[in-house]
This record gives sequence, structure tokens and C-alpha cells, in this order.
Amino acid sequence: MIPGMKKQIAVVEDEPALRENYAAALARHGYSIKTYGNRRTAMQAFTTRLPDLAIIDISLEDEAEGGFDLCRDLRALSAELPIIFLTARDSELDAVSGLRLGADDFLTKDVSLPHLAARVAALFRRIDALRRPDNAAEIIRRGALSIDGEKMQTTWNGSPVTLSLTEFWIVHALARNPGHVKNRQQLMDAANVVLDDNTITSHIKRMRRKFQQVDPAFDAIQTVYGMGYRWVEEPA
Amino acid sequence: MSIRLQLLIVALTTLVLPWAGCQYARELETALRSSQEQSLLASAGTIANALSAQPQRVFHDAGDTEGFSAAAGDLYVYPLVAQPLLDGYREDWDVPAEPTSLPTQSGYRARVQAGSSERFLYLFIEVDDTHFVAQPHNVQPDKDRFDRVNLTLEGPNGTAAYFFGTDAPGLIAAQAVAKGDDGTERVVSEPRIQAFWLQTAAGYRLEARIPLSFVGRHLWVEAVDGRGKGRAGFGTADSKGGRLFFATAGLDTLLQSFIGDSTRATVIDANALKLGTAGSIFSKKRYEAEESEPIWYRYLMGVDTSDMPTLVSAPDRLSGDSVDSALKGHPHAQWVLTGRLREMLLTAAAPIVIDGQLHGAVVLEQAADQLLALRDRALSRLFNLTLIATAAAVVIMFAFATWISVRIGRLRDAADSAVGSDGRIQLTMPESASADEIGSLSRGFERLLGRLNEHTQYLRTLGGKLSHELRTPLTIVRSSLDNLESEGLRDDQRLYITRAREGTQRLQSILSALGAAARVEESIKQSERVNFDLRELLISAVAAYRDGFASSQFILEVPPDPCFARGAPDLMVQLLDKLIENAVDFCPPGGRITVRLERVEANYSLQVVNDGPLIPQALMDRLFESLFEQRDGGDDKPHFGLGLYIVRLVAEFHGGTAVAANREDGGGVVFTITLQLI
Repeated sequence: MIPGMKKQIAVVEDEPALRENYAAALARHGYSIKTYGNRRTAMQAFTTRLPDLAIIDISLEDEAEGGFDLCRDLRALSAELPIIFLTARDSELDAVSGLRLGADDFLTKDVSLPHLAARVAALFRRIDALRRPDNAAEIIRRGALSIDGEKMQTTWNGSPVTLSLTEFWIVHALARNPGHVKNRQQLMDAANVVLDDNTITSHIKRMRRKFQQVDPAFDAIQTVYGMGYRWVEEPA
Repeated sequence: MSIRLQLLIVALTTLVLPWAGCQYARELETALRSSQEQSLLASAGTIANALSAQPQRVFHDAGDTEGFSAAAGDLYVYPLVAQPLLDGYREDWDVPAEPTSLPTQSGYRARVQAGSSERFLYLFIEVDDTHFVAQPHNVQPDKDRFDRVNLTLEGPNGTAAYFFGTDAPGLIAAQAVAKGDDGTERVVSEPRIQAFWLQTAAGYRLEARIPLSFVGRHLWVEAVDGRGKGRAGFGTADSKGGRLFFATAGLDTLLQSFIGDSTRATVIDANALKLGTAGSIFSKKRYEAEESEPIWYRYLMGVDTSDMPTLVSAPDRLSGDSVDSALKGHPHAQWVLTGRLREMLLTAAAPIVIDGQLHGAVVLEQAADQLLALRDRALSRLFNLTLIATAAAVVIMFAFATWISVRIGRLRDAADSAVGSDGRIQLTMPESASADEIGSLSRGFERLLGRLNEHTQYLRTLGGKLSHELRTPLTIVRSSLDNLESEGLRDDQRLYITRAREGTQRLQSILSALGAAARVEESIKQSERVNFDLRELLISAVAAYRDGFASSQFILEVPPDPCFARGAPDLMVQLLDKLIENAVDFCPPGGRITVRLERVEANYSLQVVNDGPLIPQALMDRLFESLFEQRDGGDDKPHFGLGLYIVRLVAEFHGGTAVAANREDGGGVVFTITLQLI
């Protein structure tokens, strides 16, 4: 990527009005936008030239899961390309499928445009940070946990834990004040997303699982029934 | 009226069978009666013809056509069955008739009756004469006065006059005045004519026995008072004599050969006097039958006998329409009533005509009891059979009706419970395999329930679908608003944008609520079961509710030790959220909401009890149905009746049940969730 050049974002969305709204909002933030109405035209363009970031709707025209296919094909073209799923669907299954396919984030269409822009900016920031040398100032350490706010990277006992952007913000919000209960709304605000309670629950569940892959004894995220969640610092 | 009762009433219409049987029996009886008339009349005619061919065996004097006249002294001679004793009593005559009075001018009353056996003529004379005047010794009949009875017989050798008198009552012989060889008249007794003189309180009786060989056609009987106060009867001087009308000897035997059982044949002469009779109307069998057989239904369906004449029977003569008709030359049959029991009797009379001249008639009498017996037999069989048939029909009908109503009841029960309290629809109905109308009704129900189920499914998923479908246009609106706002707005414009945004926010929350059930179902599918402490969960959750809903007073009652359950704690919290939201909505400000956890047998019982209005009983079963909402919209929050539906889903996920009830004290409601212990 040539520095100073406008970052190019591909918006693959079959709803023209929505597509144009996204394009307009992101263009206002200084991105160069390419819009595609279906998987075929998008894939054609991607084979010619990869965008810097792709926002993909899951259902595309007559293909109910065209977005997933597109994500898989795109991931095959580039392992690093940030991909955000944006969908009217809000089922957990979709979220899991999307994230498993290698998407970096999964947003429902309830997200506001400023939030979307912030999320896009954050992704770019993460990528940029990865390319820059470490900056210890942004790092939060809580026992075995270490969160790099710049690179948006999380490690547990030194092993990296691959979190989606939303998950990253949630862990970030919890770990910043260990022992404090964060309710769901607070977590949503922290992650700049509009999610319903169930989705937060499933995000938490997924995050625990990711940490447990690194350390099966992980139990730092505690549910406070009826209120929310809190980060428990290990007595170690 | 239940089907069973209806069919029972219908079954009772089979009672028409016995009724029809009665009608039939009645017709049968009429036909039988008519045929009995015909046959009896034919028999009478036959007998009459047979008898007219041998008049000498029937009539004494076929040439005498002068009518019987009791006033002229004519006497009917009753045939006596047995030889009576000469004792002054006529009871042994066995004649049910009273003696006939003899004419008198002086008020001196006497009566006479005649009877005959095979060889003797018997006379019974009764004289009302309380003053006995004995016959003097060496009587001179012409001069002496004493109580006497003169008897003059027209014998084969001219008339012979006898008299009875005695100086001492007892057995006497008749006396006659005979001319001696010397020409003097003297009284000689005739020992062949015996009599018994019996003195009674009212007078005297004389029972005399005269050999038939002494007896001619005429006779004179006269009772004379010994005191000269009067006389009664017929003297030879002033009367040509009474005739004797004998029953014909041997006629009984002759008749007997013509007739069968329970028929009485009587031959009468032109005066309707009996010449001979044979047979008995009533067979012995009848009496046996009468006592044993129930005859109650005769009253029910017997032939109307009210217009039948009553037969007046006399021992010496016959009467009645048929007799009168036959004596006029026309055969006739008639039903009459007879006896104390007013039994039906058929009389048929046919005239006996000899050489074109009517001499008498044959009268046959037959009881209807043969007929009755026949009818009774037929009737009782008919009755028994039809009653059995009716009873069987009623029983079968009743059983059938019971079966039908059991089936319909089963169907009704199934229909009642087809939509369960949890809103789930039972798609199979009983009886649907039956080929009849109930089966087809059941299948109709199944189709209906199938459609209802589809509809319910559609409604259930409608929320999710709507929320999904509306999300895209809503997003367009909101993203457009975002863009508009980013373009920079004047303050007045910003106001409208804000309003539009508020609108979309509300729409958003509505959609979110609509899709909630679908999302819960979705997350239930993916939920993992873990062991968790229900007690701790409740303590923590209720603490949060205390903060969240300050208007109500929360009371938590939990056991002192951990209560482990297996399931999804997150879902359990959602269940609790919904119950508490519901309780808070209905709880008046400051009211109490009690969350109670107890161990009940092998289960946990989780109760949320709140003060507030009661749930109408009719709604109780439907509370947990999807999209069931029954509340006054008092707040701005959208309600789609999914809250309690979610409660049910979660409870079922945990292998439990959710039940709503009104509090026993009437002050609020209780929602009880039953969960399995582990």
C-alpha cells in the first residue's frame, strides 16, 4: 500500500439504497469506495484488484449465503484482507459461521454509520499497528492477560488470543476495571455495536472458549446474573 | 338431551311391535270368531238335517203342532239324570228350575214340577196349606174332605183317576176308586204309583213316582184343601188336561255322537223346549288353563263385548235371537255372554224342518275359550317374543348409544384438550381411523387442527420474519438519517432528524421484541447444559432487580444450601427476567414481589409471586401461548405476548413446566416453574 493514498473499501450489498448510504458515509471519512450488488461482479473486481477492506452482506440477491462464499473466496485470495460482515441477520449461527470463515468483525445492520466508520477505522488501525514497532504505552496487563490497545491484540500467558474486533472491545472494557460489573449495554457501547442481550451472551461465551483454547483453566470472565459480567483477576 | 337418552326413546318405539301384535291378534280373533260361527252354524245345519231324517228319534209326536202353554197345564218333563229318592225333597232331581204354579181361583197355592227317568215319571207337588187334614179311614172320596191331590192320567186304556191323601205323612201309594165286582165303588190303592207325603211348615209336599207305562199324553193335577177353602190345578171336568212335554229318550246319546268337545248341542221343539241335550260347553281343560294363564292382556286388547246380549238360560227351554230366528226357519249364529264371569259363548241354531214343516231346532253352543286359548297362546307368545325383541332392541340401542356417546365424548375431550395449555396443538384425534361419520368428524377435526397448527406456526414465526424483513428498510432509513446528519444541518432541520431517529429507535425496539422469541428458540437450540447453582443465580439476579425496579419490593426466599441444577444459566436468567418484568408490570407501586425457591419432592419449585390483579380463569391456560397478550397498554414498551412464551420455552428446555395461578389469598398471582433436581 502506498502511504497517503486513499484506502479502498469494497461494499458488497444488494440493497442499492443501503449500499449508496454506506458508500457515501465511508467516502465522507476519506475512503475510496467501490460498490458491488452481487457476488459475481464483486469477485470479478477482486481478482483484478484487491480492496484494502471488504464490507460484505451475507445474503446477496438470490444467494442466501452468497456473502459467506464471497468471504471464503476472498480469504483464499488474501489471508490478511480485513473483512467485515454486515447483515440484517442477527442469528448467532450466522455470526459464528462468518467469524469462522475468517471475517474480522460481524456487524448487524443496526449499527449506525458513525459506528461503522469507527469500526472501519479501528480495523485499519489494527493493521497499521501490526506493521509498526511495539508501543508499550497502550498495553494493559491484568495478570496473565495483556491487551495491546494499539494493535488490538490480546495475549494470555504470552500466547495470542485471536479475538474479533467486537470481542476485543468487550475484553478491553471488562479488563480495564477488574471486578467491576459491566452490564450488557455498557459492553455494547464499548464495542460500538448495537446487539441484543443474546448476542452479547454468545460473544462472551465465544470469548471464554477462545481463552480456554489457550488455557483450559481460564475463568476470568464471570457472569453476574441479572447484571452483566466482570473480569476477575487471578489471585496469582 | 343426551344421544343415549334420545336413542333410548327411539328404541321405545319398538313397543309398536307388541301393539301391532295386539292388532294382529285382534284381527286374528275376529277371523277366528267368524270362522267359528260359520263352522258351528254348519254343524248345526248338518245335525238338523240328520235329525230331520229320523223324526221318530227326535219328536214324540211329530204331528202335534200346538204350542206349549203352561196356563193350560202343559208341563215340561225334566230329564232326570239319576233316580231320585222318594223323600219329599227335590234337591236330588238336580233341576235348577222352580216348580210352576197351578192356577187357582181361591188363593190356594200349589206348584208342580215334572221329571222323568228312564222308566218313571216323577211329579213334585208343593201345596201351601198349613192345616193338615188327614184322610179318614174307610174314605169315601166323593164325600170326605181331606187334603188331597188328584191326579188323572190319560193312559193307553182311557183316563185313570187317582188321588193322594194320607192320614199320616210318609211313603204312600196312589189311590183310585174302583168298581168292585159287586158294583160298589171302593177305594183301592195303586202300589205302582208311589209317593212321599212330606209335611212342612208352609204346607206339604208330594213327590210321586209313576211308571211311564201309566202315562199318556195328557194329565191333570189338582190339589184340594181338606177344609174346603179352595183348590188349585186342573180338574178333569173343566180342562182338557195338561200335556207332558218329554225330552226325547235316546236323543242325548244320538246328539252326543254329533258333537265334539266343549260344545253343547240341544234340540228344541217348536216351543223352544229342550228335547235333548248333549255335551258340555266348558271343557275341564279350560278351568285348569284359566287358573294358570295370565289373562291380564285380555283386558288390554280383548274384543269389545259390551254390545253382546246376555244369555238368559232356563233349564227347560232355550231363548235368544238365534233360537228365535231358527224357530222362524232361519239358521242363525250369535255371540252372547253367559254366566257370572260373562264369558263369551257362541250359539248357533238351525231349524229342523220335516216335510216342509218346522218342528224344532238344533242349537249348538260353544264357548269361546277354545278361541281364547288359541288367542292367548298366540298372544302370549307374541307378547313374549315382541317384549324380548323390544328389550333386546332397547338394550342394543342403549349399548350402541353408549358406544357412540363414549366415542363422541372421547372426541370432545380430545377437541377440548387439542390446544394444550402450552399452546401446542395435538394433531391426532381419536376415532380418526373409523369409517363412519364420527371418524370423518374426527378427520375433519384433524384437518382443522392441522390448519390451525400451520396458522399458529405462521403466527409464531411471523414476529421473527417481520423483524428480519423490516430490518433492511429500517436500516436504509437510519443510515440515510446518519448521512443527512453528517452533511451538516440547520438547527430546525436537526429537530426533525432527531424525531425521525427517535421513531426509528422505537421501530427498532419493536422489531427486536418481535424477534425475541425466535432468537430464544435459536439460542435454546445452541445452548449447552452446565451445572449451576440456582440459589446463587437467584441471589445475584434479585439483587439486580432491586436496583432495576425500585418501585417494587423484592423478597427472596431460598434454601440455605446451594441448589444445583443442570441447564443454561443465561436462559434461566432470561426466564427470570421475563417473569419479573411481568410481575413488575402488574404489581402496584410499593407492592411485593417474592421470588421463592423450594425443593418439592424430586423437583425445584421456583415461584415468582406478586401483588396485583388476578388472572381471569379463562385466560389461565393461554398465558404461556405465543403472541398471547391481554393487558391494558399502559406503557410505551411494546408487548407481543412473547415474554411468558419464552418462560415456557426455557422451562421446557430445563425439563420443567410453567404454571400460572391466582394466589389463594386473592391478592395477586403466582407463577410456578418446576425444575428437575440433579
